Amino acid sequence: MLASIIASGLALGAVYALIGITYNVMFAASRVMSFTAGQLGMLGGVFGALFVGRLGVPGPVGLVLTLAACAAVGVLTEIIAVRPVLASLEKHLYVLSTLAAALLIQQLTAIEWSTEPQPFPRLLGLGSGILDEKFWLPVLACAAVIGGLEWMYRRTLVGRAFIAIAEDNFAARALGLPERRLRMASFALAGAVAGLAGFSSGQLLLAFFANGAMLNFYGFVPVALGGLGNNRGAVLGGLALGLFQQAANFTVGGVFASVLVFTVFIVVLLAAPQGLFGAPAVRRV
Amino acid sequence: MPYIALARTRLAVPRSMFAALPYFALLLVALALPLAGQEYWTVIATRAAIYWVLVSGLNLVVGFAGQLAIGYVALLTLGAYTASVLVERAGVHPFLALAAAAVVGAMAGVVVGLPALRLRTFYFAMTTLGFATIVTQVALAWTGVTGGGIGVPGPSLAAPFDTAQGFYLLCIALAAACTWMTLNAANSRFGRSLVAIRDAEVAAEACGVAKARLLMLVFLFSGALAGIAGGLFATLQSYITPDAFTFDLSVLFFIAILIGGRGSVLGPLLATLLLTALPEFAAPLVAWSTFLYAALLLVIVLLVPGGIADVLDFRSRRALPSGRAVVPRIQLLPALLSYGVSRDDLTLRGIALSFGAVRAIDGLDLDLRPGEVHGLIGPNGSGKTTTLNAICGFAVPQSGTVRIGGTTLPLGAAPRRAAAGIGRTFQTPRIVGEASVIDNVMIGGTILGRATLIETLLTLPRHRREEAALRDRAMTALRLVGLEALAAIRADRLQHSELRFVEIARALMPTPRFLLLDEPAAGLSAIEIERLGQLVVAISRQGTGVLLVEHHADLIFAVCDRVTVLNLGQTLASGTPAEIQAHRDVVEAYLGR
Amino acid sequence: MTTRRNLVLGAAAAPLLGRLAVAQSAAVPAGEPLRIGWLAALTGASSAPAVGFNRGVVFAADELNAAGGVQGRKVEIITRDTQGDPTKAVNATQELISRAKVHAIWGPTNSGEALATTPIMARAKMPCVHPCVVDSLIDPVKFPNAFRMAPSNGQWDDAVRAYLLNTLEVRDVAVFGDTTGYGTSAVAASVAAFAKDSANVVNQSLIDATQPDVTPDMLRAKTAGARAIVVWSVSVGMLSRLMNVRNALGWDVPIVGHPSLGSGEIRGLLEKPGNWEKVFMVGYRSCSFGEDGKLPERSQAFVAKLAGKVALHDTSLWWVACGYDAVKLIAAAVESSGASTSEAIIGAWNHTTAYPGIFGDYSYSPENHNGYPQADVVMSRANSQRDGTFALAPGFA
Repeated sequence: MLASIIASGLALGAVYALIGITYNVMFAASRVMSFTAGQLGMLGGVFGALFVGRLGVPGPVGLVLTLAACAAVGVLTEIIAVRPVLASLEKHLYVLSTLAAALLIQQLTAIEWSTEPQPFPRLLGLGSGILDEKFWLPVLACAAVIGGLEWMYRRTLVGRAFIAIAEDNFAARALGLPERRLRMASFALAGAVAGLAGFSSGQLLLAFFANGAMLNFYGFVPVALGGLGNNRGAVLGGLALGLFQQAANFTVGGVFASVLVFTVFIVVLLAAPQGLFGAPAVRRV
Repeated sequence: MPYIALARTRLAVPRSMFAALPYFALLLVALALPLAGQEYWTVIATRAAIYWVLVSGLNLVVGFAGQLAIGYVALLTLGAYTASVLVERAGVHPFLALAAAAVVGAMAGVVVGLPALRLRTFYFAMTTLGFATIVTQVALAWTGVTGGGIGVPGPSLAAPFDTAQGFYLLCIALAAACTWMTLNAANSRFGRSLVAIRDAEVAAEACGVAKARLLMLVFLFSGALAGIAGGLFATLQSYITPDAFTFDLSVLFFIAILIGGRGSVLGPLLATLLLTALPEFAAPLVAWSTFLYAALLLVIVLLVPGGIADVLDFRSRRALPSGRAVVPRIQLLPALLSYGVSRDDLTLRGIALSFGAVRAIDGLDLDLRPGEVHGLIGPNGSGKTTTLNAICGFAVPQSGTVRIGGTTLPLGAAPRRAAAGIGRTFQTPRIVGEASVIDNVMIGGTILGRATLIETLLTLPRHRREEAALRDRAMTALRLVGLEALAAIRADRLQHSELRFVEIARALMPTPRFLLLDEPAAGLSAIEIERLGQLVVAISRQGTGVLLVEHHADLIFAVCDRVTVLNLGQTLASGTPAEIQAHRDVVEAYLGR
Repeated sequence: MTTRRNLVLGAAAAPLLGRLAVAQSAAVPAGEPLRIGWLAALTGASSAPAVGFNRGVVFAADELNAAGGVQGRKVEIITRDTQGDPTKAVNATQELISRAKVHAIWGPTNSGEALATTPIMARAKMPCVHPCVVDSLIDPVKFPNAFRMAPSNGQWDDAVRAYLLNTLEVRDVAVFGDTTGYGTSAVAASVAAFAKDSANVVNQSLIDATQPDVTPDMLRAKTAGARAIVVWSVSVGMLSRLMNVRNALGWDVPIVGHPSLGSGEIRGLLEKPGNWEKVFMVGYRSCSFGEDGKLPERSQAFVAKLAGKVALHDTSLWWVACGYDAVKLIAAAVESSGASTSEAIIGAWNHTTAYPGIFGDYSYSPENHNGYPQADVVMSRANSQRDGTFALAPGFA
C-alpha cells in the first residue's frame, strides 16, 4: 500500500512539478501566467501517442518530434496570446487571451483527436508493478529538467540572459539583450518542458484531451505553494501535492480526495499568498 | 467654452432618456415575443433572461471590479439545488425556496470572493475554477440530499407561472429588475469605486474606497442573483443533474461580459442574448460552439478590448476640439473648499523606512501647516515620494509617527487617509481611462456618500439626493480647474496635462485638510506650470496645507512658504525659500549653482 | 479519430441523399411527412452509442421510404446534436416539439439528458421512445408518453447480480462506478440490490474517470476480501485501467458490469491483451453468438441486410439494431392506428405485445412502459467483439 502511494504519488507529483516549471519559465520571460501550461502537457501525451503509437515512429524520434511540436505550440501561444497584450500588462488581459488560447487547444484536440482517452505506447518495456516505467519515467524527466535548467542558468550565456530578463525586463533590454527573441525562446522551452511532462506520463495519464484542464489546475498548485518563479519550490510543491493526493485517494477515495486537496490548497494559499517559499513583493506606487 | 458647458448641461436630461432607449426597446421586443406563437423561441428567451439574471450580477464583479471569477457556474448549481431540494424534499413554497436560493447564493458568493481580497488575478481565477469543480463533486456525492447522479426535479411554480409564457414573463420581469438595479449600482459611488479598483486601485485607496467591504458587498449581491438564476434554471430545465452544470456554461457567462465590454451594462446584456441564441441558429456547429466562443474571446481581447460597448460608443469617436487650454477659475474655490476653525498641523516625527537593505528615509521630521505650501525637493532617490507614501499609508515606516494635531494616524492603512483629511495626486496620473472625466472626479467624493447599496440599487431618495449633490460638486471642481467642457469625455482621451488637473479636482472633492502633490508640473508647459502655481497657492489660502514634491525649482521657490530639502532620506535643510536659496550645502549638493 | 467523424458526417448526409433519391423515384409518398425527432449526442464525450444508434435510424428511414413510406407518408428524421448536455437537450426538445412539430421523438440517449427532457415531453404529450437506463424515467402515471425500448438499469443490475450469484457463485463483491451522474446512481442502486439478495458488498468506490492510477481502489477492494468487481461506468479509460491493475496485482477475480467493458477502444488501452480475460459485460441475446459462432436467426438476417451499407466493425450491433427498431416502432404505431396524433401513437404502443424487433421483442401496456424482456438480457465475454456482436459468457447457452 505505502509503496503504491509513493510510486504513483511521486510520478504524478513529478508531472505536476514539470507543469509548475512550465508556468514559471513562461512567467520569468514575460510576467505572464498562462492557462496554456496544462494544455501543453496534455498535448505532450497526444502528440506522443500520435507519433509513436499511431504513426509507429521509434520512441526517441517520437520524443524529439513531440518536444518540437509542443515547443512550436508554445511559441505560437506567445505570438497570438501573449505578445499582443504585453503592452498593457497591468490590465491583466493575458488571463483572458491565454484562457482563450487554452480553450482553443482543448476543443481542437477534442474534435480532431478524440473525446475518449487514447492509448499511449509502452516506450522501454522496463519494470513492472510499482517499478513500472510509467511510474519512474516522469520522475526521471523531472530530474532531467531540473538538472538541465540549473546547468543552463549557471553555465550558458542564454541561461544567464534568461535570468537577466526575469530579474529586470527593462534593464535587460537596456543592456541590449534581444528581449523578444529570448521571450520566444523561453516559451519554446516551456512548451518542451510541458511536452516532456506529457510524454513521460503518457502511459499513466493516457492521451486524453481533458488532461489539459486537470494539469492546468494541479500544475498551478505547486507554483502557488512554492512561490511564483521558484523552480525548486515548484518541485517540492509538486511532489508534496502528488503524494498528498495519492494518500488521500488511498485513504478516503475519489470525490472526497479532490475536495480535500482543494481545501488544503485554498487554506495554504490564503495563509501564504506568496507561497511557502516566497516570491518578491512588488512596489505599488 | 462656457457656451459649450451650458449646452451640455441642457442636454443632460434628454441624454439619460436616450441612454435608456435600448433597454426599453429590448423590453418591448421581449414582451412581444410570445405573440410570435412559437414556444421554442419563448424557451430560448427564457433561458437568456435567466442567464442575464446571473450575468448582470457577475458583471459587477468581472466587468466593473475586474475580478476574474471564471467558475460562476458553481453558484448557479448551488442555487438550483437549494431551490429544488427545498421544494422537493421539504415541501417549501417555490418562491420561498427561490429566496433561500438567493441567500445560499449570496453566502457562497462571499466564500468564492473572499480569496479575491488576498490573491491577484490569475490566482483568484484558479480558485474560482477549483470551487466550480468541488461544487459539482459534492452534488454528486451527497446523494441523500441532491439525489446524486439521479438528481432532483426542479421546482414547478403555481399558476400563472406554470405555463411556458407565464414563466417567461416572470423571468423577463426579474431580468428587467436586475438590469435596472445594476444600472443604478453602475451609476453610483459603488459602481465608480469598483471601476476605480479595477483600473486605478491605488487611486481608489487614496480616495478612501474600502476595497474589502465593497467587494464583499458586490460578491454578496452577485451571489444572490446567481442563486436566483439557479432556482429559475432548475425550473426551466424541469429536472437537474450535475451533468447540466457544465464548465461551458461558466465560459459563456464570463465571456458574455468581456464580449459585451467591461464597465458597461448594455454590452454584456446584448452579448448574453447573442451567446444564448447563437447556438440555436448554428445547430450543425454545436460541436464547435466552445471553440468558437474561445475564438471570439481571443479576437475581442486582441482587437476590441472594449467589446460591444466600445463599438456602440459613437460619442467617443467624435473628435475633441484641438488646442484646448486649461484655465483654472480660482474665484470658484470658496464654493468648493470651506473649512471650520481647525488649525491642526500634520506632523511627521522620526520616520524611518527601508526597502530591504536600502534606507529610503532615515529619521525624518516634517511639519505641514494649514494655509501653507510646503515644498519638498531633493535629488532622485532622496526619499521624496517615499515620504509622501508614508504620509498616505502606501508605505509602512518601520518607526516614527504621523499625526494630525493630537491624533496619531495608523501607519499603513491607506484607505483611511481620505477620511482623515489627506488627499493626493500621483507622479503618473492614476485615472480610470474608460470612465468619463466627471466620473473620475466623483470617485474623489466616495467618502461623502452615506446611502447603502440597497438604497442605491432601488434609487431611494437619500441615494438620489447624494448623487445629485456629488455631481454638482464634481462639476464645480471641474469648472475650478477649467475642464468642465470635457466632463462627459472618456478620461483616456485627455492630454497628459489635463489629467494632472483632473487629479487635482478629484483630490479636492472631499475638502482635504492636506493636499499632497507628487510632481504635478511634470510634463506641463511653462504657461500651464504658471497657472498650476496660482491654483496651488489659492488652494492653500483656503486653509489647505499643501505638500509639493517637485523638480521644477522655479515653481517651488515661486509658490512655497517653506521648503524642505532631502538628501539620502534625511533633511539636508529646511526653511523659507530665501533661506534655502542661500543655504550653502543645498546650493552645492542640489541646486548646482 | 477521423474515422468516427467522417462516419458522423456521412450519416448526417445520408438522409439528404435519401431524400433526393426518393424525390426522383416514381413512388413519391403523398401527404404530410411523418416527422420523427432524434435527440442524439453525436459529438462530445461518450458519443459512441448515439453514433451507432444513428446508423440504424438512417437505415430504417431509408428502408421505409424506399418501400413507399408509412401509409404513403414519407418518413423524415429531424436530428439534433445535443452533445450529451442536458441544457442543449432541453432547447432541442423544445425546438422539435414547437418548431419542427415532430410526431414522435426518439431519444435522448443519455440518462442525464432524459431526466430533463422527459417532463417537458410529458407536458407536450409527445410520444417518446428512448434507451436510457435510469429506472425513474419510466412512470406511466407521471409520463404516460414515455416508453423504454432497452433494459432499465434495474434489468442490467439483475442480470449482473444473477450471473454473479448463480453462475459464478460469488457473494463477496466490490462495486465501482465513476463520479458522473450515471456512475454514482448506478452504484447506489446496485449496492442496494445486492444487499437485498443478501450478498456482501465488501467495498464500494466512486472513481474519478480521469484518475490516472486506480491501484488504491483495487487494493482497498482486495483487502476487503472482494471475490468479484462489479463496475458501472462508460469511461473506457477507467475500465481498462481497472483491468490492467487487476492483472498487475496478480488478482484473479472476474470483472462484471457495464456494456462498455466490451468497447473496442479498450483493446488499445490494455497493457496485455490477456488483461481482458475474465471480464463479463451485460449483453443481449439478439446481439450475442453462441459456441457455434451464430447469431439468432432474425439478427443474422439483419446483419446480412446491413452488409456493405452500414459499418459494424467499430460499433455495437445492439446500438444499430435499437436505433433501427425505434424508427420501426414509431412507424408501426402510425401504421396500426392509422394516424400520427399523440393519442394514436401512444394508444397503439400501449397495446403492443411482443412486437418483433431486431434488438428484442417489445411489449407495452398502459401500466408497463418498460418494454424490453428480461430474458433477452444476458452476459457476454467482453473481449469477444466481432462486428459489433459478442460471445455469450460461460453459463449461457
